[in-house]
Amino acid sequence: MEIKRYLTRRIIQILVSFFVILTVLFLLFRLAPGDPVSRMIDPSMSPEDAEHLIAQLGLREPIWRQYLVYVKNFFTGDFGYSFHYGRPVLKVIWEKLPNTLLLFTSSIILSALVGIFLGKIAAWNKGKPLDSWMTIGALVTHTVFLPWLALILIWVFAYKLGWFPITGIISEEIWLDPDAGALAKALDVGHHMVLPMATLFCIHFGSYLLIMRSSMLETLKEDYILTARAKGLRESVIRDRHAAPNAALPVVTSVGLSLAFSINGGALTETVFTWPGIGRELVFAVSQNDYPLAQASFLLIALVVLAANLVVDILYAYLDPRIRY
Amino acid sequence: MKGDKEIRHRPHWFEQFLEGWSVFWQNPLGKIGVTLLGIFALMAFSSFIPPLVNPMYHPMTGVDPEIYSSVGPSARHWLGTDFMGRDIFSQLLAGARIAFMVGVSAAFMSIFLGTAFGMIAGYMGGFVDTLLMRLADVIMVLPTLLVVLILASLFGQLNIWTIVLIIALFRWPGVSRVIRSQALTLKQRPFIEAARVAGASHIRIIFRHIMPNVLPLAFLYMTFRVTAAIIIEAALAFLGFGDPGTVSWGMMLQWVWKTGHMFKALYWLLPPGICISLITLSFYMIGRAMDEVLDPRLRREETAR
Repeated sequence: MEIKRYLTRRIIQILVSFFVILTVLFLLFRLAPGDPVSRMIDPSMSPEDAEHLIAQLGLREPIWRQYLVYVKNFFTGDFGYSFHYGRPVLKVIWEKLPNTLLLFTSSIILSALVGIFLGKIAAWNKGKPLDSWMTIGALVTHTVFLPWLALILIWVFAYKLGWFPITGIISEEIWLDPDAGALAKALDVGHHMVLPMATLFCIHFGSYLLIMRSSMLETLKEDYILTARAKGLRESVIRDRHAAPNAALPVVTSVGLSLAFSINGGALTETVFTWPGIGRELVFAVSQNDYPLAQASFLLIALVVLAANLVVDILYAYLDPRIRY
Repeated sequence: MKGDKEIRHRPHWFEQFLEGWSVFWQNPLGKIGVTLLGIFALMAFSSFIPPLVNPMYHPMTGVDPEIYSSVGPSARHWLGTDFMGRDIFSQLLAGARIAFMVGVSAAFMSIFLGTAFGMIAGYMGGFVDTLLMRLADVIMVLPTLLVVLILASLFGQLNIWTIVLIIALFRWPGVSRVIRSQALTLKQRPFIEAARVAGASHIRIIFRHIMPNVLPLAFLYMTFRVTAAIIIEAALAFLGFGDPGTVSWGMMLQWVWKTGHMFKALYWLLPPGICISLITLSFYMIGRAMDEVLDPRLRREETAR
């Protein structure tokens, strides 16, 4: 039951982390130059509505009361009104969350699986040309500048070859067509998702490949691999059953550690492809001076990163029976 | 790492450096990385030449009096001009200068913070350690680019040095963890004990005895931090939140993308992206080659094959 204690401790740590982020954001909001009221209240609102919202957000109260109201509003999902959309912020970002999760999780999982597989092959063929080419390929795709890669992919596959749509998530002619079935709609989204997903995939699989490769090389020196060889097991069994599962553990850790980096990339990808997700919403909100929307998107992203870290911890504890914290 | 003996015999550092350099240079990654970096350094140093040749080559304000739109490469403009008729080649040179400025200064600051906090946390232990490391945990999960964005939404347009400072403030935790674990093992060594018995203060022990031993590691991390800083600045500029007074590669990409020249002006789309990617790659390669210099275990593995 050690694992339960460990997870409880991690959950508490994550909650504390989130409270720190929440509080620092509040303090920064107060520290920033300008009037907090004008930052939270849309200038085009009617005076009565504005007064109502000011009271609801507690903007005229003493600062400690404001903080309490701010925390309470966060937990009741009350983030104020988006200037641009003129709707409650929560509604706006709630609609975008599934799009982000769809694109992000599928590309991270795909790149981790491919990275683990290719890293295994590279380590197994260590010193051969195949290994060198894979390592070089991983280094290059890992360091290419993400928005530029996205633009190049658009240029080649959407503009020159015309295989994929340039931007967006759906084509209106299919979604407005009453005869179109669920499958046609799903395929349409998938068609739009290929290029953004390819972008995120290219950036990520290289680092997973490199980590898997070096981890696999370490694992192959272990005694139990020698034992497996001595038993006369087939090489492919040693590679896939004995070495690879253990070697893959550091990749899981690195997925967790690089999540913050991946989220940056996710926001850039969404922006270039105008994929309607939270990252793009944050970029858009900042450019429109729509502070309530920017704040809520940021907090939601922070929450997603923290939750994903927890998922990685659980996965790790589950995958490695030796680790009991 | 090194024992206390090596530190006493200071004159050996030069030989050590030469030995390290020869290992570094034998590594193809190190060779390619340094060569690429040399080319970029040359670009950065020569960035002041074009405006001297003719004011129309000024990367920011220089406009060709005969060209008012984006035109392809010619003898007059080697890489063509942007939407205002500014020379893309001289912008590319200026971008190299900005990349070095941003990358090196942000990396230096974050390494300074990371090393200081890591040493203090590891050496002092207890409450200070817990506090610093929890703080590091919180900062580490935050996506730096989005943090800069939210700060930009609060404080308005950020200039290049503010951006550098924010990157540094949010990029120290990774380094501090490594340095901390290094300081934890160093703390147990006899020479630290000896210094303490001899009456050295905590500050003296940290800076005089622990720091020389963790610095090589800190420099290794510096190469990785440089790439992180360059990428964040470029991404920020690309999204349109960069310093409007500077011409960076990210800014050039933002111009080609936002002015809708992306599909017609490949001569403008390609160079800045290639430069950002290659400078990142070169620092990354140098980091991996340095890894081998500092960790002899990796070196043996390489030479064995």
